[in-house]
This record gives sequence, C-alpha cells and structure tokens, in this order.
Amino acid sequence: MRLHQEILLTRYILRRILQGIPLLLIISFVLFILMMNMGDPVATMGGRRVTRSADYQRLKRQLGLDKPIEVQYIYWLIGNDWTKVDMDGDGVAETPGTRHGVLRGDFGTSLVNRGTAVLQVIGERIPNTLILMLASEAVVIFGALLVGVYSALRQYSFLDHAITALSFIGYSMPIFFIALLSMYVFGVMFKRWGLPFLPTIGMFDPQVGSSIWQVIYHMILPVVSMSVVSLASYSRYIRSTMLEVMNQDYIRTAKSKGLTRHTVIYIHALKNASLPIATVIGLDLPFLLGGAVITERIFAWPGMGRLFLDHVSRADTPVVMGILMLVAVAVVVFQIITDVIYAWLDPRIRYD
Amino acid sequence: MPGWIPVSVTIDPGLYNMEPSTSIIPSLTPDDLETPPIGLGQLAWRRFRRHRPAIFGVIVLVLLFLYAFSGGFFFTEKYANFTDTSRRLLSPSAAHPFGTDTIGRDVLARSIYGGQISLLIGLTAVTVETILGILVGALAGYYGGVIDSVLMRITEAMLNIPEIFLLIVMAKFFGGKIPEVAILGRSYSGSVVVIVVIIGLTSWMYLARIVRAEFLSLKENEFVLAARATGTKNLDIIFRHILPNSIAPIIVSATLGVANAILAEAYISFLGLGVQPPTATWGNMLDGANNYLDTAPWLWFFPGLLILLTVLSINFLGDGLRDALDPRSRAV
Amino acid sequence: MTKKPALYVFIVLLAVVSLVLSGCGGKTPSQTGTPNTPGAPNTPQATQTSVPEKKVITLIYTQEFDTLSPLYTDMWFSWTTWQLYLAWAWEFDENNAAHPRLVTEIPSSANGGINSDGTVITMHLRDDIKWSDDEPITADDFVFTWEMATSPKNAVTTAYPYDQISSVTAPDPKTVVVTFSSPFAPWLATLWHGILPAHILRPIYDSEGTIDNAEWLKNPTIGCGPYLLDEWQSGSFARFVRNSNYWGTPPKIDEIFIRFVPDDASQVAALQAGDADIGTFVPYSDVPKLEQSGIKIMTEPSGYNEGLFFLVDSNGKLGNPGLRDINVRKAFAMAIDRESVTRDLLLGLTKVPASFWDALPYYNNPPLSNYPFDPTAAKALLDQAGWVDSNGDGTRDKDGVELVLTYSTTIRDVRQEAQAVFQQQLAAVGIKVDIQSVDSDVYFATYGEGGPAATGKIDIMEWSDGPLWPDPDIYYWKCNEIPTADYPTGSNWFYTCDPELDALITLQSTQVDATARQETISKINQLFHDKVYWLGLWQDPDVWAVGPRLTGVKFSGVTPLFNIADWDITTP
Repeated sequence: MRLHQEILLTRYILRRILQGIPLLLIISFVLFILMMNMGDPVATMGGRRVTRSADYQRLKRQLGLDKPIEVQYIYWLIGNDWTKVDMDGDGVAETPGTRHGVLRGDFGTSLVNRGTAVLQVIGERIPNTLILMLASEAVVIFGALLVGVYSALRQYSFLDHAITALSFIGYSMPIFFIALLSMYVFGVMFKRWGLPFLPTIGMFDPQVGSSIWQVIYHMILPVVSMSVVSLASYSRYIRSTMLEVMNQDYIRTAKSKGLTRHTVIYIHALKNASLPIATVIGLDLPFLLGGAVITERIFAWPGMGRLFLDHVSRADTPVVMGILMLVAVAVVVFQIITDVIYAWLDPRIRYD
Repeated sequence: MPGWIPVSVTIDPGLYNMEPSTSIIPSLTPDDLETPPIGLGQLAWRRFRRHRPAIFGVIVLVLLFLYAFSGGFFFTEKYANFTDTSRRLLSPSAAHPFGTDTIGRDVLARSIYGGQISLLIGLTAVTVETILGILVGALAGYYGGVIDSVLMRITEAMLNIPEIFLLIVMAKFFGGKIPEVAILGRSYSGSVVVIVVIIGLTSWMYLARIVRAEFLSLKENEFVLAARATGTKNLDIIFRHILPNSIAPIIVSATLGVANAILAEAYISFLGLGVQPPTATWGNMLDGANNYLDTAPWLWFFPGLLILLTVLSINFLGDGLRDALDPRSRAV
Repeated sequence: MTKKPALYVFIVLLAVVSLVLSGCGGKTPSQTGTPNTPGAPNTPQATQTSVPEKKVITLIYTQEFDTLSPLYTDMWFSWTTWQLYLAWAWEFDENNAAHPRLVTEIPSSANGGINSDGTVITMHLRDDIKWSDDEPITADDFVFTWEMATSPKNAVTTAYPYDQISSVTAPDPKTVVVTFSSPFAPWLATLWHGILPAHILRPIYDSEGTIDNAEWLKNPTIGCGPYLLDEWQSGSFARFVRNSNYWGTPPKIDEIFIRFVPDDASQVAALQAGDADIGTFVPYSDVPKLEQSGIKIMTEPSGYNEGLFFLVDSNGKLGNPGLRDINVRKAFAMAIDRESVTRDLLLGLTKVPASFWDALPYYNNPPLSNYPFDPTAAKALLDQAGWVDSNGDGTRDKDGVELVLTYSTTIRDVRQEAQAVFQQQLAAVGIKVDIQSVDSDVYFATYGEGGPAATGKIDIMEWSDGPLWPDPDIYYWKCNEIPTADYPTGSNWFYTCDPELDALITLQSTQVDATARQETISKINQLFHDKVYWLGLWQDPDVWAVGPRLTGVKFSGVTPLFNIADWDITTP
C-alpha cells in the first residue's frame, strides 16, 4: 500500500513538473513581448546626452536589437550559436553567434553592465534578498503563531479584540508607509533624542565590513517593515483556523479524555491546524520577492528588488527577463513542493 | 502585496478533490425557528449589523467619500494645483492645515482632489477586474474541458508573477502612450487610464478562480438542469441563473479588491511609475517622500494616513460582508 | 504522527541558514565591529596597531557605475571613477584648461604637434608612464585603443571620435600620429579618454575575436592611475587602494571607498553624519542643510544647461502651428518666470543661462541677455500674431487651431515641479500646456523606436544638455539630422531646417583656428536667441559636497577628480 502511494506521488510530481514547463514558456513569451516595448536600452547609452546616431545604429546591430521580436525571443531562448550574425554592418552575416540561450543556461549579458553575464549580475544580489526574505518569513511565522494561538485561546477577551484591531491596521498599511514611519522614528527621531538608533541605508558599513552583526543591525528596520503586513494577516488566519479546529469533535473528545490543556492545544489542535497554514505560507514564499522591491528601494538594500527597479528603468531586457523567469520558476517549484507537502501531510488527499 | 492574498484565498477545489463550498444555506438559529421565514437579504443584513468593525468601516468610508468629493466645494481644483514657489514647504498652519508641498501647493486641497482620483481609480479598476474575472471564471467553470484548461493555464501563468513586477513592467509598457481623457468636464492625464487598466489586468485572477469554483459546484444543481431541459440558452443560464446565486463571494472579493487597487496605485505611484503630476493622487503625493522624511513629514504622513484609513475601513467592510453573505467560505 | 515539529525544524533551519548567509555576504573577511553605540554605527577606519593609521575617504555616488571599462560606458559616474585608476592623454583642471598627463606637451601648431591644415596630430609620450604591472605605456596602447573602438566586432558604446580618424600609427614606441580625413576641431575635448592595456587585451581579442567579455573590462585591477581597483560589491560599494607602482607622484590618501546610495536623502544623511567625505550631484534644496553642518559646496561648470527645445517643423506638418511663428516663441519666452524657478526651486544657487554655451564664456561672446518675464508684452505679441481667444475657453486660437502645446520631460522631481509652475504661468497668457513626463529610456527613444520626442509628438521638450564640452561643437539642429524612415536615428528632434543655422554649424566643426571658430559660434548663439530655438532654464553645473576633513580638493568639469593625488585629510 505504501509503495503504491509513493508511486502515485512520484507520478503526481512528474505530472506537475511537466505541466509547469509550458506554463513557463507562455510566461516567458508574454513577458518578452512586454519587455520589448518598454523602452530603448540604447537610447540612454549616451550617458547624459542622446546617443549619437552612428553609434546607435551600430550598437543596435551588434547587440542584436534590430531583429524582429520573434527572432530575438528565439535567440534568447535557444541562443544564436547555431547561426551567424552580421557584426560589421555590411548586411552579410559572417560572425558566428556566441549565445547559448536560456534553455542551456545562458541568460545572456546585461545591456547595462556591459560584458557581465546576467546570472552573475543577479547572483550577486540574490543572497541579499534571500537573507531579508527568510528572516522576514521566520519573524512572520513565529510571530503569527504566537499571536494567533494566543488570540484563539483567549477568544473574545479584550486582548483578542485589541490584537484583531491591530492586525487589521497592520495589513491595511502600505509597506512604504510602515517603512517611512519606522525610519522616521527609529532612525531620525531616536538620533535626535540621543537614543541608540538604527541605520537606515545599506546592508553594512563598507569600512567596517560585512560582519554578521553589521548585517543584522542593518536588517532590523527592513525586516520589520516587511513582516508587519504578513504577520498581521497570518495571525488572523492562524487564529481562525485554530478556532475552527478547536471546535471540532475530536478536540472535545481529547479534552474529555482528560488530556492536559497543553497536550490538547499543541499536539492535537495545532498539528491539524498547521495543514492549511503550511500551504498558505508555502505559496506565499516567492511572493515575498515582490514585497521586497519597495523595501529594498527605501532602505537601499542591495538586493534583487532594487536590481529589478534599476534595470527596468534602463530597459535592460536580459537582466529583467532573468529576474522574472527566476521568480516564476521559484513560484512553480514552491507550488509543487507545497502541494506535495500538503498531500503528504493530509492522508485524505488523493493524487489522481 | 503579500498581506492581501491569505485573506481571500480558498484552497482551489480542483486541486485537491475536496468538497467545494456550497451555495448559501443560512444556519439555523433559535431566532429563525420561532419567527416567520425571512429573506436571505434581510438575514444577511442582520448578520452584518452585528459585526461591529464592519459598521465602523462603513462609517469611516462614508466620511472619507464625503471628504474627497464634497471637499471639492471648499477648494477648487485650480486652488489644489496652484503653485507658488515662494510658499514652498511650509509646515501645517491655520492657512494651510496640512502644510504646503515642494512647489507651494496646499497639501489639504491636494489630498481632497487626490482622494477623488484614488477612490475613482480603486472603483474603476475593480470594475475592470470584476468583469474580466467573471467572464473568465464563468466560461471556464461552465464549459469545462479545453476552454477550462486553457483559461486556467492563462490564469495560473499570470498568478505566477508577483503583482508588483507585473505592474512595473506594464506601467512602462503603456507609459506615455495614452493621451489625456476628458470625462464629465474634467480632464485626467492619460496615466490615470493606464493605472486603471494595469491594475485591472493584474488582479482579475483571484476572482476568476472563485467564480469558477462557484460555477463548478452550481452547474450540477437542479435548477440548472431544469433550465437546460426547458431549452434556455447557455449564456442565459450563465448570467441569469448561476451568476446571481454566486454573487456573494463576488461582492466580497470586489470590495476587498478596491482596497487592493488603492494600495496597488499607491505602490506604483510611489515608485514614480503611476499617475504623473500635476494630477494628484494619494500615491503620487508620497513619491519622493523619503527625501523629505524629517524636513517635511507632513508631505507623506497625511496621504499615508488617508490611504491607511481607506484600506482599513474597506477591509472591515469586506470582513463584515463575508460574515453576512458567505459565512461558510471563510478561510480566515 | 508528528509532522508539525518537522515543519518547525525546517523553519528554524531556514532562519539559521539565512543568518549564516548574511555572514558570508562579503568577500572581505569580517571585522566584528559592534555597532550598537549611539550615534556611531559607522565607526571610523579599522586600525591595526602595528601599522600607522590609514587615510581613507568615502565618496557617495547616487548611481552605481554600470561598468568601469573605458569605451563601454558614457555614464558620468564611470567617467569620474576613471581618474582613479586610468589616465587620459591630457586632463582638464578646475578652469577646464587642458594640461598634459600621458603626453609631454599638448600638441599645437606652435610645437609642431598639429600640421598646417589641422589633419595630422602628433603626440609624444612621457618616458616614465607604465601600467601597474610594470609594463610601460607605449604608443601601441593608443593604436590598440583606436583599433578596438572602431572594430565592428566590439560593441563599444561610442566610437566617436575614433570613427572620424583615418589612421593611428606609432612610428616609435613613444610617438603617436593621428590622421584625420578632414580638419576636426573638437579633437582636444574628445580624444583619448582612457587607454586600453594592449598587452592584456590584445591576446583576448586575437583568441576570442572580441574584447566585449574580457575580464579586465569587468574588473580592471591593473591600471595606470594613482589608485587601483581592489573590490567592487554590486549594490553596496567599491574600494580603491593606492597604486604602489604608480609612475607619478604618489597620492596622499591610502584608500578610497565609493558607496552607492539610492537617493539624495541617504546621501545627505551620510554627509551630515560624517560617514562620507564627498557628495556628488547634490540637489540645491539640500545645500543649506549641508552648509549648516560645515560641509563645503563646490560647483563646477560642466557645460550642461537645462533648457527647453521647441518643435519648429520647417515642413509645417508636425506640432502646433503656433510654435512655427517666431513671435509666439518670443511670447512664450516672456510668459514664463524662469528667475522664480532658480530663485525658489533651486534656492538661488544657480542662474538662468542666456545661451547654450554659457559655461564657455569664450564662445558666449558678446554675452546675450535673457528674455525678461513680461506677461503683458507676451500677451501683446500673441495678439499681434493673430492668436486671440475667439471662443472664450481661456485658450488662444487662430484659424480654428487652439494654442495647446504638449510639454514633456523625464521623471525627475525638479523638472515636474518646473512644469507645473510654467503651466500655470502660460495659462495666464492664454497658452494651454499639456504636461507629460516619462522615464528617460522611453523619452529618449529614437524615431525608429517610436520615441515621443523623436517622432515629433512633443511641442516643448526639456532636458539638460550642452555642447561637446569643453568643445563648443553641436550637431542636433542640422538639416540632415532630421529623422526619417531612412534615417531613423536622426537627432534633430526639433525638425528645424534653417539653412543659415545649418551652414554655420557645419562650418564651426572644421575651423581649427580658434578665433574664426569663436566668431562662428557667436553667430550661432545670436541665432538661437533671436529665433528662440532654445530657451535656457537653469545652469546645471556639477554640485559637489566636500566634507571638512579634506584639503587640496579641486574639481574639473571634464575630468572631475583630476587632482585626486593631491587630496589630503587634515585630521587623520
């Protein structure tokens, strides 16, 4: 029986992965079309002046930007090392291409950081965003569990109502408002009042180096800004799930069997409540990448969100596509993982 | 916007073979047993009335709408856009209760007219997204099969990209391409239309899934079979029979969608890609605000506070509506 | 059946991993500075007790340089950084006069450096110049640079002016002969901005066919300037250390940090806190605050002036017909109060330029005066020109066409503010203005890309520009630069074809004789003013913030950090 389950599970995972691939292709094509019409990367290469026309025409040709969209998409996807490109402008394609295409792992080179591979550009910034993401997620999970469970256990008490009200306020706030407020209070005002204050820009002080303490110290305000919204909504979610679970029959049975309150809550109720919680948290993880865009901009955190904004404004298609595809892949992967964990946790689920 | 998603998410029924939510069945309370049967609407209203935060939300919302729309009688639009660079960055005073901005415009007047635009954007974006969501969800849920597969793949594809990335990319795609529009005697910069369109285009997916779930469950019901047996056309069945019965989650989703639209507009304008000045919105009044964090906090505090109050009261209202109309589908 | 603890363990592991990752965030080994002291999270330089205190200064850039390689970027922040680790053939000082660096003297007709018709320039290199790996800098490096800039296999950002050169030869290792096909007046300002090390890059070019992906271009650790690149962490900072193998006078400061911040507010905060010594492009609104904190503000003209460009279609098809009438343009000039913008928005720290060549007084001769702010005269001119408000809607019209102008610029706070101010002032004289602002890469897209300015959709364009400084050369207004389907990259987005102007522009770029050229430019200047082809809004010099620690700091408008080797700190 167990082997049968495992075979079903494997087939389910494989099926989901196979379903994910055309999805990613559609996404990439749609995004690519959007990219192409969103600005001219060569226009700003002139620095503070308009690019000279001779340079403009040459650069367009050399960077492959003069080709029609479908051709550019194909080069992006499968590379151009199987064909020749016209580098010297005489109309005859003579130089073999050097790109291998996304399907072979080559996301191209950035149009802004000339010569640097897209994966390197992104790779330099991903760890910084991940640090922020994971720390926020940890804060959110622990905080929401604490607050949600406490609130559920003391339903209808004054504290519960207060927490509920605060939660509503919490997830109604725009992230940048929280960020600005916290910057103002903990960065500016504290400094004025002579209290120990928190830094408001960057990940660490370059002259001191990126020690663990520097990073944590600089991380406090951004993580707080990012966690408040999610913490507020998750704590409500946990609270109501706990309440639902606590009203079930088997909890009453457990109580009447004389199990301690402690056991009842933490072993039985929470365990069963964790099922939908795990699902929602798992699905939300990649979307934290989106929430980081605003936070990183305000706090000058050198992460992927800021990279996205900077390169979108200069129409750097390879890097922007790279980031978006990475996010899309992360979302698909996390969805599959979440589905699998959910199915594994809940034996009622069948995978056909 | 991570905070919004868990509030309205329901586990996609198609995914786990679980029982989807059924149509509204009012729960029996002692009240109902002893009094003559009352309509669904009245029952919903009763439940709504008991939800105190929702009432609070309604009151605040009404006040905010009054603030934005009747405030126009106290200040003309010309006054709100009136620049006087010699009076820039004045802190709040009797003449300018909310202070002045970087070119001397009165922040209070701007927040009134900005409120009009922000609220209008919220409502129109939700209209766009509701229409799109209903169309996609209804067609997918009713017809099933290939149509369902294709539409759901598209929905999933769009859901897979975080909203803010999509908003930024689309804002640049449409930016500057749409000229000014004149509606009801006032002219709006083209960027307002752009914002409405892109918010609508990036938020319909959640509603589509909800509507599809409703249709999947309702289309096997007897009244649908009866309608089909009497030869009613498919479109009629969709829009005149099934849709009205699934109106509850749509209303809840649309209400919460207004909050999301206002937040989305605020985010995108904060990044400088949204509504362009001189048209004011609460969002673009916050643009560049961190440059004046400590020198002129009134620039960002008041618009931010107004956004917070609006979104908060809409969330309360949505919560109350959900309790009243659709208590069984609570995921939160 | 305890799945929940597994979940908890997983989460805890994630948290731990994230903390560990943070410790591995940097390439430099960590120094455990505990930053919890109030008021000083950025304690001054780390010291080791065995060596004397290092002199370290910090510069703040509000934009990170996209690449450090010469030829592959035109970004100001890259240009400025080049002076740290590269050397130009000649550099420019605080008066924007050229002085030799890699050459022994500036070529001129007096010393035989330029031949009689101005087509051949001969440069003699110094004997002591060398790269930091001890390879001498020879004429071959110059030849190689020209070859790379003009090679079709390299996607260099700009091949100008190397594409105007017909040949570069090296008769001996210390002599470079540059031959132009026709006299090229702007050579002094445009040639030899950064030399490539042939001994490093030629092998790469030979084996790969291009130098686009060369490691040296991404990470130029070998250079010939007073400093060398030590480390560059994208998004955070870059670090330059003293070049111990420098051929010139050793610099006094040991290390230079360049920190990247996202906006001006963080820059100001860092300067005020004493965390940084130099601030770049400080906005005028922050100047009083900084001066109060004891920070010196230095402005250096760099040739840029913010101004309005008008769509004056000589063929009469694009744009509002009103703008084709010179009197309407004059009325426009008198309807806007440009002084109030510089006085209030820019706090009186700069002034309204009267001419495109305001930063080059030599070419702004005789100096022109601005159109005054005179709404009454403006209205009179418009009435005379036949533009009256016949339908009472507040906007003037003529022959059924309303005087509605589209005014668009890029998304920048001060520009959007100026737009709103002018819109109001123009409405007061009956000119309706539609304001738009878009991102710069959309705004500056070419005709072929459907760019709004290039395709003649904007009546009034605004950006900051200047001549090919410190050379007065311009080319935008030439008739043959008008974009068409056959020439989609044309830069004459004003669609102006004025034969007189065209002839003068063509003439000045060939005049190697300074006096004759000055006369030509002055005539162009007068034309611009009389026909209102360009309206200056404010001068756009480089605004530097210099912290109290530094001494000996001077800036140039062309090679900003030209004397960085002379900088010193008073209290190390």
